[in-house]
Amino acid sequence: MSLNQPSGGGVAVTVENLSLSFGKTEVLKGVNLEIRPGELFTFLGPSGSGKSTLLRSIAGFGPQPGGRILIDGEDIAGLAPWDRNVGMVFQSYALWPHMTVRKNVAFGLEERKVPAREIRERVEAALDLVGLVAYGDRRPSQLSGGQQQRVALARTIVVEPRVLLLDEPLSNLDANLRVQMRREIHDLQRKLNLTTIFVTHDQEEANTISDRMAVLDQGVIQQTGAPLELYDNPANRFVASFLGTANMLEGRVERADGRPWFVADAGFRLPMADGFSPGGERVTAMARPQNLTIGAPGDATGDGRLEGQVEVLEFLGTIVRYAVKVGGTSLLVDETHRAGRPVFQLGDRVSLGVDAEDIRLLPA
Amino acid sequence: MKRKDFLRAVSGALAALAVSALPAFAADLEGKLVIVTSYPPDTTVTIKKAFEAAHPGVEVEMLKKKTTAGIKFLQETAKNNTSDMFWASAPDAFEVLKADGLLAKYQVKVQGIPEKVGAFPINDPDGYYKGFAASGYGIMWNTRYLKAKKLPVPKTWAELADPVYFGHVGMSAPSRSGTTHLTVETILQGMGWEKGWGLMKSISGNFKTVTERSFGVPDGVNSGQFGLGIVIDFFGLSSQASGFPVDFLYPPITTLVPANIAIVKNAPHPKAAAAFIEFLLSAKGQEVLLDPKIRRLPVNPETYAKAPAGFPNPFKDKSIGAAVKFDLDKSKGRYNVVNSLFDVLVTYRLSDLQDAVKAIHDAKAKAKAKGKSNAEAAKLIAEAEALVAKMPITEEEAGKKDVNAIFKKKRKKADTKITGRQAEVEQQWDKEAKANYTKAKELAKKAAGML
Amino acid sequence: MITVSRSHWGPGAVALFLALFLTVFLVIPVAKVIYVAFQDPNTGALTLINFIDFFNTSLFRESFVNSFYVAALSVVVASAFALPLAYFTTRFNFSGAILIQTLGVIPLIMPPFVGAVAMVLLFGQNGTINLLLDEYLGFTIPFMEGLNGVIFVESVHYFPFILINLSAALNNIDRSMEEAAQNLGASRGRLFRRIVFPLAMPGYVAGASLVFLKVFDDLGTPLLLNINNMLAPQAYLRITSIGIGDPMGYVISVILVTFSLLALWTSFLALRGKEYATVQKGGGGLMKRDLAGWEKAGCYAVVILILLLVLSPHIALTLLSFGTVWSFSPLPDAYTVQHYVDVVSTSSIYITNTLLYAGLAAGIDVVFGTAIAYVVWRTGLPGRKMLDYLAMGAVAIPGVVLGIGYLRTFYQFDVPFIDKPLASWWVIIVIALAIRRLPYALRACVAALQQVSVMLEEAAENLGATKSRTVRRVVVPLMTGGIVAGFVTSFATASVELSATIMLVSQESDAPLAYGIYEFMQSAAGRGPGAALGIIAVLIIGIATYLSHRIVNNKETERAPRQQSAAQGV
Repeated sequence: MSLNQPSGGGVAVTVENLSLSFGKTEVLKGVNLEIRPGELFTFLGPSGSGKSTLLRSIAGFGPQPGGRILIDGEDIAGLAPWDRNVGMVFQSYALWPHMTVRKNVAFGLEERKVPAREIRERVEAALDLVGLVAYGDRRPSQLSGGQQQRVALARTIVVEPRVLLLDEPLSNLDANLRVQMRREIHDLQRKLNLTTIFVTHDQEEANTISDRMAVLDQGVIQQTGAPLELYDNPANRFVASFLGTANMLEGRVERADGRPWFVADAGFRLPMADGFSPGGERVTAMARPQNLTIGAPGDATGDGRLEGQVEVLEFLGTIVRYAVKVGGTSLLVDETHRAGRPVFQLGDRVSLGVDAEDIRLLPA
Repeated sequence: MKRKDFLRAVSGALAALAVSALPAFAADLEGKLVIVTSYPPDTTVTIKKAFEAAHPGVEVEMLKKKTTAGIKFLQETAKNNTSDMFWASAPDAFEVLKADGLLAKYQVKVQGIPEKVGAFPINDPDGYYKGFAASGYGIMWNTRYLKAKKLPVPKTWAELADPVYFGHVGMSAPSRSGTTHLTVETILQGMGWEKGWGLMKSISGNFKTVTERSFGVPDGVNSGQFGLGIVIDFFGLSSQASGFPVDFLYPPITTLVPANIAIVKNAPHPKAAAAFIEFLLSAKGQEVLLDPKIRRLPVNPETYAKAPAGFPNPFKDKSIGAAVKFDLDKSKGRYNVVNSLFDVLVTYRLSDLQDAVKAIHDAKAKAKAKGKSNAEAAKLIAEAEALVAKMPITEEEAGKKDVNAIFKKKRKKADTKITGRQAEVEQQWDKEAKANYTKAKELAKKAAGML
Repeated sequence: MITVSRSHWGPGAVALFLALFLTVFLVIPVAKVIYVAFQDPNTGALTLINFIDFFNTSLFRESFVNSFYVAALSVVVASAFALPLAYFTTRFNFSGAILIQTLGVIPLIMPPFVGAVAMVLLFGQNGTINLLLDEYLGFTIPFMEGLNGVIFVESVHYFPFILINLSAALNNIDRSMEEAAQNLGASRGRLFRRIVFPLAMPGYVAGASLVFLKVFDDLGTPLLLNINNMLAPQAYLRITSIGIGDPMGYVISVILVTFSLLALWTSFLALRGKEYATVQKGGGGLMKRDLAGWEKAGCYAVVILILLLVLSPHIALTLLSFGTVWSFSPLPDAYTVQHYVDVVSTSSIYITNTLLYAGLAAGIDVVFGTAIAYVVWRTGLPGRKMLDYLAMGAVAIPGVVLGIGYLRTFYQFDVPFIDKPLASWWVIIVIALAIRRLPYALRACVAALQQVSVMLEEAAENLGATKSRTVRRVVVPLMTGGIVAGFVTSFATASVELSATIMLVSQESDAPLAYGIYEFMQSAAGRGPGAALGIIAVLIIGIATYLSHRIVNNKETERAPRQQSAAQGV
């Protein structure tokens, strides 16, 4: 395998029933995952969700977990970190301050007893790949944050690991650089076709970069899938709210007038698409703010109509976000902003509309 | 520290200082007495307590200095003297101070002190310093140590040079300890310059160590780090009294010398100082010397009646310290030269000296074991012994004023011109000594090879 | 960069005062010593002849070589003690790690010469170990023979300097540094050699150079072991037995200072550009590993052996203090508490003096240390770096040299009202101790100050607090932890100092503990009480140290939540 050629598919990573505790705290509770060869897979979750712990388990750090971790079919759970050949880029980059950039990058190859001449060539190639050939003799402390990030990347991929692990690699960069580096990582991953696991708590980052992702909370995988799929069809309230703003209403489904209705506890009902049958159990209805329409009383369009009063008004540039008091609750509505279009004021009476197909039912 | 507490601590300290500086008017004596002494707390604290009980209101302050350091201290501070008394063993130290004009004359009132102890006058004939106790020099040994190593008890200095004692003897350096200086002088005066140094160096060849302090010797014997030590009597006697398995004897060549006390010139508290001398020589003060922690020979013959059994009494046992008539002037005249010679030839060249002496011992032992005499080997051994004994300067030179002047540290006046520097002279001696010891070792080895 | 402005007259005045203090009590005395070394003893003219004499005298050359040899080997032996302790306690899950780290620091709070006395009893030619060896195995080990003894005693006494610095360095290494290496294929041995050791190097070098310096200028230990042919004892012996006028003592002093500075400089060069700030966001110290059963047993065996060795002076001293007669036998003949009774009734003056002197000196140190740290790091005063160098330079001035310099400089100077030369007033002892320990306190204060963000100060000034009030109300309270740490270090080490005090104590009532013990050890009946006093000293300093640690820790936990929220805000 050489850095400049795609490596033909990468390897699969399978995690089976992985569980892990720090003392009495259970951090991972029976995690199952199937990561496909060559995929860029993201672990997304809030801090403390276990996403970094899961990644570190794959790299072989931290306490020995229960369950199995298979790379290309081989169980690596018992191997020492240095025998796994999975490359990890650390959140803090972990560049060794006592070595130059070149030395840092060469380290893994030296550990692998690669001949000196080949080390030189591969180090140069890796530095070239991240655009840092001119910086080889600097010390890490003489580099900017983005450059350090690139060195960390080069240091990891130069050893041609089977899997690339990235632990919140962008969290120490400023906003502009983060977007740029995110693209670079994405391009690099495509170029190398290297199975990559990316850990982040930023859903935008996850959405833009991932082929697929797993949302974690409290040591459990909540849902796995492509970003769009998860956004549109969240499996539960946590996924729904973690991936974006959501209106969530509690209530139950009832049948009336020949169709299913969602009857909210807040004291109103919304029409549901056919196919929902009332079970009588309590459920949550979820609708994204951009799927609601707003208008003067009676003007709003949609299968379901509600009347309310503007309670909060936020101008966010591309959109105007209203919080509208409806019955015993408050609903968020986003309206695309165009110059000249009238904006409702605080206290205005308004009507809201929502289409039946934009309403998702989630477990309560 | 909080600021308030700090202020309180400082003001407390200042107050304490102010109080201690106030004179206490008791019995016409000054409230304070500052004594520069070479004695250990065991001695000073016991006597201080007894004195303060007898003269309430006088607070005695002991400034512990080694004898030599005490002399330097009084010389350095003479311009701004704060000390009342000098209290130490070695009479020659007092001679040095007397010669520098740093002592005040005093006439003792107490009666019953004889003229002499052994062959030595108890008081300074010129009236500057007074003997309060007698001390002799001898050998102390650790009884457990000698038993374990199956060593005999030596009776004379010469026996200490015997090969069986190799590595078992300890002594301090005369430059570090006034009493040791007296021991060396006694041997030099008792046996003569050449023979005395020869013996001194043969004994030194058996040294385990040259201790930095005079107390290092009894300390080493007490703890068993080495078996025998050359010490002043009270070290041996008080160690024994403290329960250590040690014993002490006077060899024939020893001198009894008074341990002395004197009032410093321009003493700030002269009355208290006088009272201290009178107390020390009184029956009560003399008895304190018999305290197990002190164990010095009183100068008042009456006091011996109260001494424990077996305690040496020089006023009865005339063999102690009678053999040598100690010449103080001679000792004073070459004080620094003798110190320096010992340091250069023994203290700092100890390992070379030991090697040479060991080689000679080995050669002699071999000769004895083989039972045959090899004239050439014997000659080589004799040559080696002569090399070890060889002195860089003669007794006459050592006593010369201009030679001693090199070792006088203080330029009296800025334009005083002295030829030669101490370091330069010592460097020359050291070179000779090292060459001699090395040569002696070679010769002895060669002799051993012939046998 | 802040420029000197009207608002800086306050710090300016403080800086001037500090500079004056350091000049009078450090620069001038040392300069006097240096000057005499270059003076012809006979004519008073400037000359190099004394140095020629020095290098022409084989005794001095030998002393010079011996001092180097002893200092270098002490570093080696001390490293052998410190490395396993630091490594095991920072890298493995090891129960009692805190206890080990605490016990490992105890040797520092015993005067080294007291340790020498105790160690002769245990390890000497006829000490406990050798008597037993000789009886049962028929051979002896010359632990304490000649220079061995000095090296042994010094390394036992000073190894905590390496332990403390190395442990801190090891703890400061970001865990991910190590994980990154493992991830790239480095296993244990190579990981240690290529990553852990180089990253901990600055801490090790800092500790090791301190050990070198302290051993190089220690006086008490060689004296107690009757080793004369080293530089510091030669300087002391020349001055005390030949006199304050003898130039050789000064020449030796100059050579001591020169080589101490050279050692400092070398370590500075070795560390230049390597002061790695390895603590990064998310870093959590070294990875701690669980030990397998046999590994654990092995580690404990090594740790216990080392602790027994380094605590042997305390063990022997305790035996001595309770023993009646201990002579040529493995243990004392019988036991008693009489020595403690004697000491408590007669020697409380030494204890109060020590607490007063060391307390005042440490107090001066932290006040001056804070002030110097502030002037150097937070003002733009010209020449402020000099102040730092000057104060730190004190670390390279051997106690003997400072003592000689004070005697020389302040004998002619009478203190008003008490009518005594300054050189024989007890306050001079406090000043000497303060100067000698200032570098420790200063480093602690600088470290503490660097953790206080300038923004916090600016916030106070913005709300109307003047410079001095800001320092008092914001900076100093936030520095408390570091200041107390500096106080403790200065206090504990000043309490056992002998090198400078032995030259400056002019009357017994002014003497501190170390001096008192030294005196007790000079008589047959005094060894027991001396040892008892030594044990009392260790206890008092130990308790004082422990208490101040408690205070620091309480303060730290009190502040911890606040700091955390501040960190989150960033």
